[in-house]
Amino acid sequence: MSVTDYDVVIIGAGVAGLTAGALLAERGFKVALVTRGEPTACLSTGGIDVCSRYDNPLLGIKDLPPEHPFHFVSEKTIRESLDHFQTAMREMDLPYAGAVEKNRFILSALGTLKTSCLVPSTMEAAPQDNNDNIHIITFKGLKDFYPGYIISRRKKTGFSVYDAGVYSTMSIASHFEEKEFFEKFITWLTKLDIQEDKVAFPAVLGLESASEIVHTISVLIGKPVFEIPTIPPSMPGRRLFNALKGYFRKKGGTIYWSWTVTGIEKSGKIIEAVTTPSEGRPNSINAKAFILSTGSFVGGGLTATREAIMENVFDLPVHVPGPRDTWFENDYFSLNHGIGKAGIIVDSSLRPADTRWENIFTCGSILSHTEILKNGCGHGLALATAHVAVKSCMEYIR
Amino acid sequence: MIKTDVIIIGGGATGCGIARDLALRGIPHCLIEKGDFAAGATGACHGLLHSGGRYAVTDPIAARECYEENLILRKIGEKCVEQTGGLFVRLPGDSKRFREMFLRGCEDVGIPAEAISSTKAIDLVPNLNPEIEEAIKVPDCSIDPFRLCLLNIRTSELRGGIIFTRHKVTEIIKSHGRCTGIKAIDQATGEAREIHGNIIVNATGAWANKIASLAGCEVPMTLVKGALVITNHRLTDMVINRLRHPADGDIIVPNEAVCLAGTTALVIDDPDNLLTESVEVDTIISEAGKMIPHFNNTRIIRAFSGVRPLLKSKKADSHEISRGFQIIDHENGMYSIAGGKLTTFRLMAEKMVDTIMASFNLKKSCATAEIPLEGQEELSGYPLVKRLTDMKNIVCECELVTRQEVERIIRQTTTRNVGDIQHRTRLGMGPCQGGFCTFRALGIMNDMSVISPEQSMEMLRGFLQRRFRGIRPALWGDQLREEQLVEYIYLGILAMEKPQ
Repeated sequence: MSVTDYDVVIIGAGVAGLTAGALLAERGFKVALVTRGEPTACLSTGGIDVCSRYDNPLLGIKDLPPEHPFHFVSEKTIRESLDHFQTAMREMDLPYAGAVEKNRFILSALGTLKTSCLVPSTMEAAPQDNNDNIHIITFKGLKDFYPGYIISRRKKTGFSVYDAGVYSTMSIASHFEEKEFFEKFITWLTKLDIQEDKVAFPAVLGLESASEIVHTISVLIGKPVFEIPTIPPSMPGRRLFNALKGYFRKKGGTIYWSWTVTGIEKSGKIIEAVTTPSEGRPNSINAKAFILSTGSFVGGGLTATREAIMENVFDLPVHVPGPRDTWFENDYFSLNHGIGKAGIIVDSSLRPADTRWENIFTCGSILSHTEILKNGCGHGLALATAHVAVKSCMEYIR
Repeated sequence: MIKTDVIIIGGGATGCGIARDLALRGIPHCLIEKGDFAAGATGACHGLLHSGGRYAVTDPIAARECYEENLILRKIGEKCVEQTGGLFVRLPGDSKRFREMFLRGCEDVGIPAEAISSTKAIDLVPNLNPEIEEAIKVPDCSIDPFRLCLLNIRTSELRGGIIFTRHKVTEIIKSHGRCTGIKAIDQATGEAREIHGNIIVNATGAWANKIASLAGCEVPMTLVKGALVITNHRLTDMVINRLRHPADGDIIVPNEAVCLAGTTALVIDDPDNLLTESVEVDTIISEAGKMIPHFNNTRIIRAFSGVRPLLKSKKADSHEISRGFQIIDHENGMYSIAGGKLTTFRLMAEKMVDTIMASFNLKKSCATAEIPLEGQEELSGYPLVKRLTDMKNIVCECELVTRQEVERIIRQTTTRNVGDIQHRTRLGMGPCQGGFCTFRALGIMNDMSVISPEQSMEMLRGFLQRRFRGIRPALWGDQLREEQLVEYIYLGILAMEKPQ
């Protein structure tokens, strides 16, 4: 059996895990990140939602129920975590706009205004109210975007259809990074006589160089241009994941892909290593501390059976919001489904409560009482709690 | 205004069967259905073509009818019946006396029933519980109720039958005490329609009393709700029944790529407000799990309930209520046909049309048992081989339905309802239950201008709310995971608001 030693092993490659990893690597720790695969961040809009309760997320956080994990994070840390994120993303050529004191909107593919806090620069020009007239450029046969839904709410919206010859967001995005395709497209676009104030695209404008493409188009047509995030697969989500991943590696972190933790090695109150049955490469990774950031149900951190809810890596105790009948309300549109509270209960250092392990810290959506949809606090909570978990982890190691 | 001879209200198996029978006997007719075909009990059942075995002990008359109809449907509907065969399995502790009664009952009725050893049974269905004592093999089959309705309607359409779906009957027109026609509203456009006829047939199943009351009549019925669950794959190639007195959770039926298991029996009042309780789902899973243990760990993609429109009975246990049917002559030009079951729909239609012919004093006899269902080739569903020929531009990834296919159905049916596409292509029937593809199908309908942008938005909302009713009782494991993802998409990424 091959053994590899690290200071910290992170489990889960989402926004929380990659951020925690980068923070530790920046401080000179030897960090490995193990993951089963790509995170749910790839499916997201790419926006950093901090708290959508009020116009000012910081005030919204103060109003969250007392059990909410945001209360383990100081305002200073929240500010630092967002600053750090914006700096890191600038370094990775994926600039984000926005500030922690004020939420902003992105236009959704249904024409609604979705509240977020920091948004990819490609969505910065999105209308902030229902007044701006927009013109949508869409693509023939694109199966995940239909301007009709937006027109149902913004009646004056115009649209034009370009035939890219391919039908998925991913293939169109890769075409946009080919010079020949781009030039042909621009020739077509500049011939359109667009009257509306702004020009919108489904989020297919490249994968590596989206902010540059948006900027170029905007200069060429002399109007603000913005992207509308689509249903998964989401290009802005994937860009965010790629940038976080790149940043973590740049700071010296190592990622083990398709590395499902199936066992642990322990001694007293300490987890010594995590193991996986893979052959031909390290199948046991030792570390002084572990950060668990495997996400909630979709991410694969939690599993529900008919009778119980389990945490999948360390079998940590899980807060279960009542019997199965109470997990979901009858109304689909209710954001009050009890299941939103399921997760790991932690102390203020984000160490799991009611367990003997001293060297596990948790962050992100696996925490209990997050109610992410209801509170609009997904990636923002992941960034902030990653900072707290890293701080606790460093104190522990010292 | 339309004038015809016979007005049929209800587009379930019975109503569609009556339309076919009338067409084959040359009687002009018009069928009105408030939703889509098979929208009531016909579509909300397990799709079992009974061998009659289930009733051999408790209701020999129903058992005989079932077996005879089973033979007929296998013959006339070769392409829409899957001849799976069925097993009645006896588990340790199940009464041996019932087994004797069962075999004797089958023999009396003439249902071929062969007792086989547990080893032989497990050979046939490897997923069976190895603890079973024995099994009895019977000719149960599985049938697609929706396709069955479409095929019956095809015969009617080919012979001039007038069909209106999504038309709700609002009034029965009477003149001198006789029913002479109906008024209906087009649910999509709000347009009113008046149809006159000599005879009205009320074949509305669970809604029979509601329709009869429009003519000042009554149809005494007991409505019994039954819950069913759908698995995400096929666990058995044969129908599996429990060899005991009819009880909750005693049947598993394979259908296309999935299995349906049920049922429960609860007397209810309102057929328009059905909820499936978690406890019903748990009962079905644990009972089905006794016959096929793997059922306990299989992903359930949906749970739903249907209503059995049974004739009024005072029997306390609703499993015991007769599955027989009855034709009620309201003596005012309206007939109601009530009770019965999917398997005997053709016989019910035959008896109904015999009654109509007698009242018209016409002689032509029934031909529905001899002539094969027309259109089986085109309407043979959407088999996998056909789906795999074009993998470009897939709109529904679970069931491999392409954009071209969706567009073809929209053009062909000019439908304004996404359910019609679903029934005809299996779009949205897979594990995500339309979570991704309905957004697309409605978008395509809007692109093709069959619905307005506002309608597409409103229909998407309505769909999500309806879909959730079916999914909510089955939320744990991977289905819960998928549901949370779909919820993040609509309520998070797309920021869909709560309807006003």
